[in-house]
Amino acid sequence: MMIEHKIRQFFELLYLLVQKELKVRYKSSVLGYLWALANPFAFALVYYIAFKIIMRVQMPNYSIFLLAGMFPWVWMSNSLIQATSSYKNNASLVKKVNLNRAVLPLSNVAHEMVHFFFALPVLAIFIKFAGGDFFLSWVWQIPLMLLLQLFLVYPIALILALANVYVHDVEYLIGIFLSLLFFMTPIVYPITMVPESYRVYFEWSPVYSLITNWRDVLLNGNLDPETYLLAGLMAFTLGGLAAVFYRKASLRMGELL
Amino acid sequence: MSPIIECRDVFKRYGKSARGIKELLVGKRRPVESRYARDWALQDVSFEVERGSAFGIVGHNGTGKSTLLALLLGTIQPDQGVIRCNGKVASLLELGAGFHAELTGRENIFLYGSILGMTFAELRQKLDSIIAFSELGAAIENPLRTYSSGMAARLGFSVIIHTDADILLIDEVLAVGDSRFKKKCRQYLHDFKARQGTLVIVSHEMETLEEMCDVGMCMDMGKIAHQGGIEDVIAHHTSLMKLNDQTMESTK
Repeated sequence: MMIEHKIRQFFELLYLLVQKELKVRYKSSVLGYLWALANPFAFALVYYIAFKIIMRVQMPNYSIFLLAGMFPWVWMSNSLIQATSSYKNNASLVKKVNLNRAVLPLSNVAHEMVHFFFALPVLAIFIKFAGGDFFLSWVWQIPLMLLLQLFLVYPIALILALANVYVHDVEYLIGIFLSLLFFMTPIVYPITMVPESYRVYFEWSPVYSLITNWRDVLLNGNLDPETYLLAGLMAFTLGGLAAVFYRKASLRMGELL
Repeated sequence: MSPIIECRDVFKRYGKSARGIKELLVGKRRPVESRYARDWALQDVSFEVERGSAFGIVGHNGTGKSTLLALLLGTIQPDQGVIRCNGKVASLLELGAGFHAELTGRENIFLYGSILGMTFAELRQKLDSIIAFSELGAAIENPLRTYSSGMAARLGFSVIIHTDADILLIDEVLAVGDSRFKKKCRQYLHDFKARQGTLVIVSHEMETLEEMCDVGMCMDMGKIAHQGGIEDVIAHHTSLMKLNDQTMESTK
């Protein structure tokens, strides 16, 4: 009864926090929903100009190749950046209210996930116009990918948020780390362009299998079970790590902020 | 019957860990000498509070009163000793932590109530009562940024008292809203006490403490200087303050 009450309460609070973010964004800006689309489209445009027009990368359908990788990337990087400072920005909640603190970084990841989800139809239509196709298999592939990304990104977000309470530099380092990771992940180029002997340094990362699987799903209706399960295993391990770290680190959080 | 709050041999020290990469590399700052500097924020604090009573805490600034309330609430943990609260604790430490200016009063009731641990079902059931107590009327549909600070505090107070807490922690916030609402809050706290609710009050207003509390303690530099009936505690505090003033004079 107590446990059930707590779980229900946790998800209700999560729902309200996500709803708050969405409402605030849509109330206080004229373009509202369009901003969720503007970011990934703008990034994709920049790289399209740089790689397709200036550097003349030889690749058919480069625009949708870019977009299919860019959307999940923007979800991930936005939520990690926000979550990292989530405890610091909500210091009054941490210090003055006895609430389940694990919910705060999760609300960042979840709210970016909602944006991503709402942007998917627009992305799908764009892909269709640019020569791609719709796939019936999306019905189960997209939910599976959403779950994978949620369970992969949340533990990282939680660890970063906690670490930032102890060492404030984390929120500055995360930006640098993400730009490195962006180019270490085949988003603006296919992995086949990487020399064979270097590929192993790219393929270890769970973000690699996340992005390549998203692209494969969106462009070909394909989900590679092997890399999916591998990434799932890493998400599971990260989840365990984050849980242990949270139990230790959250005890002293109230006095460090 | 066992006391509702039990605090035994509590010690609390604030961490001196490095706060950033710079401090990790360059070394920590040496602590600045000041009259507030001490090893322990709280040292050997023990007290009990009976159900249905009001416990007052006095002491000069920086003596550990707020630290003690945070420990009772559970947002920080003691380094040594045991703190046991046999009931649900709510704090009036900060009214409306988590309020969002762009949301309406009604939306904020749900958000804040949920932050304080209430479920949707509870909130829906108590919504009318919360709005009624806050006396905001039709303004409840307006965004919070249009509220005066008094109105926001009234809403915060109204939500907190609907959490069904057994213990209320109060830190200098009996001054909510205008004088009429203040009176209403005081009346509420008296009723709360009469219903076997427990109050822990930190205040610099001796009249408030005398009016509300039965027992209490006076703190000095993280230690309990005196514990007992509220009149004695206040008398002790007054003499301590005088002593403090004298030493300040003489060191000038």
